[in-house]
Amino acid sequence: MEPQSQVQSDKSVELTITSPLDLLFNPRSVAIIGATPRENSVGGVITKNLLTKFKGKVYLVNPRYDEVNGTKYYKSVLDVQDEVDLCVIAVPAPAVPKVTDECIRKGAKVTIIISGGFSEVGEEGARLEEELKKVALNRIRVLGPNCIGVYNAFNGLDTFFLPEDRMGRPKPGPLALISQSGAVAGAILDWAARRNIGVGLAVNYGNKLDINEAELLEYLAKDSRVKVVVMYMEGLKYPGEGKKLLDVLREVVGIKPVVVYKAGRTKAASGAVKSHTAALAGNYEIYRAMLRQAGVIEADNLTDAFDMAKALATQPLPRGNRVLVITDSGGMGIQSVDALDTRGLQVPELSESLQGILRKQLPPLAVTRNPIDLTGSATDAMYKFVLDTVLPTSYVDMALIIALMQIPGLTINLGNYIVEARRFNKPIVVVSFGGNEYVAKFESHLEESGIPVYHAPHRATKALWALYEYAKIKGAIRGWVA
Amino acid sequence: MNPIIAKAIEEGRYKLLEHESFELLRQYNIPVPDFALVQDIDEALRVVKDIGYPIALKVVSPDIIHKSDVGGVILNISNDDELRSACERIRSNIKEKASYARVSGFLVQKMVPEGLETIVGATKDPIFGHVIAFGLGGVLVEVLQDVSFRIVPVSEEDARAMIREIRGYRLFNGYRNMPARDEEAVVYIITRFSELLSDNPNIVEADLNPIIILERGKGAYAADARFIIGIS
Repeated sequence: MEPQSQVQSDKSVELTITSPLDLLFNPRSVAIIGATPRENSVGGVITKNLLTKFKGKVYLVNPRYDEVNGTKYYKSVLDVQDEVDLCVIAVPAPAVPKVTDECIRKGAKVTIIISGGFSEVGEEGARLEEELKKVALNRIRVLGPNCIGVYNAFNGLDTFFLPEDRMGRPKPGPLALISQSGAVAGAILDWAARRNIGVGLAVNYGNKLDINEAELLEYLAKDSRVKVVVMYMEGLKYPGEGKKLLDVLREVVGIKPVVVYKAGRTKAASGAVKSHTAALAGNYEIYRAMLRQAGVIEADNLTDAFDMAKALATQPLPRGNRVLVITDSGGMGIQSVDALDTRGLQVPELSESLQGILRKQLPPLAVTRNPIDLTGSATDAMYKFVLDTVLPTSYVDMALIIALMQIPGLTINLGNYIVEARRFNKPIVVVSFGGNEYVAKFESHLEESGIPVYHAPHRATKALWALYEYAKIKGAIRGWVA
Repeated sequence: MNPIIAKAIEEGRYKLLEHESFELLRQYNIPVPDFALVQDIDEALRVVKDIGYPIALKVVSPDIIHKSDVGGVILNISNDDELRSACERIRSNIKEKASYARVSGFLVQKMVPEGLETIVGATKDPIFGHVIAFGLGGVLVEVLQDVSFRIVPVSEEDARAMIREIRGYRLFNGYRNMPARDEEAVVYIITRFSELLSDNPNIVEADLNPIIILERGKGAYAADARFIIGIS
């Protein structure tokens, strides 16, 4: 099988629209319990999100209102005539068990409980959570409580209660995010939106009364719109949970790449983790062992995770670890070699005959060993010539292209040449750095054509490393016995 | 439940005796140096005819945690005379330094040739269950924390990865005048150890320390073992 198709055509199972997890992400109708016209309140933002964006039916529930701006409010979810697939609950904690019971009686299969004030705030909250658990157990599936819920860019389902002018929403795209922290999820989506990174689905599970990471992963593995899953986790909570997560991760990794950033790595942070989501940070070494055992790609922070995910979602898998580096800056070339070597990737010297071919066409000052330094007199055509001559050969498995666009010989057309080089079916990443409009145009042209761009060699390197790691896991590497 | 563990629980012991630990390892085909539990010097002299010198003699007692601290271990015994005096020396050491201790007998154990010393350990984590650790032996490793972990069940592939993950792995391929080591023998020990743990959920802590790894093709031995049982 071609490496490309291994990433892109996963063995996705057809979605069965009736399972509660499907309804959590793809409901046909949603009721908001605690809906309100009050702007910038939790319920208010969710109400506005769903009324303006959700491609499905929305029912607003709040006994304090009858009708606002022509939209009907129901006293109770039980008053809604039609079927309700998903209930979003944003009422004060003490009222949650009662309204959850109403959602069950209404026939809803799944609920997102946004409300906080449960086990995360102490003993009394924990008692309330136990009461809620008794109400919900085996009757309705629960995401949360104390969560920010679901963002689905494809159908406009958006329970993130952060106003749009404060948190940008990313466009639909191949990345999915599972985050243990709601605020972190909000910030990373805002960041991704600004950088035009497509995050189709995002979910935060809060106190994890019921639906857990493993189930969310299982769902995302099946959803063929998702190409890469990024996961932010602080710690697991329940006895025996770790083994289940390991099993599920291993299964999911066989279908699509998973990139995890585990925070709470130090002893110093374990207290903070416990008070945040009542999870145990545990021994980070054990988490790391689990991630390695499952074939998960581990990131050191969230931006790294998205840097890697971007490449995993767009690039074919390499068949080895040898990198062609093309640069118009000797300095950036050296930085790249350092970064690549540190991550166990090679920058092989090209054969004398290949260098001879390059020398005939390139200016005398150009360096042809690899990194190939085209110097400040580089042109679009030189990059194209090197790419077309070297990338298809068996000497290299992937390309890291540094294009500092400040030199006049380079134009936006270089982007086209790079995009055309995708036909060689080897991973390509680009390093571009600068601040002017022309640079920005060049970068977005590449990104939109499926070539990931990074602002520093070490970031591009991590992306190539992630591709290489996943290729090893998938058995795509020549002579590699996994 | 494994009868060895059942017996310990029945007797209210949370720690397996040394010969029980070796017996448990043997059940899982984890190589251990030849050994026998004896009651007195006459029995020791009999079993050593099969085991062969050189041997180590160790006191076996449920009351002694660190045997060497009370003079309960004598290594490199190479003939019958040395064995006789070793037996007496251990008895008098115990009388003097650990008079409270019950002595269940002596362990006669074949000395293993020198090799690369490593540690395979296990703990039981509340979230993940049994977790196996691997590292090189000795003080330096404690300082460097050069240890890798995997969650049980550990496959051959996992075991190989955890061996290659430690920084000291270079020693496996031979260094200067030291020969390359039998890596596959350690892979085997780790996977068998994983199965032992899966079968025995009562084990809350275990150490195979040291595991002596011989030259490539010559195997590896668990020269000492310790099992802690959770009594709930």
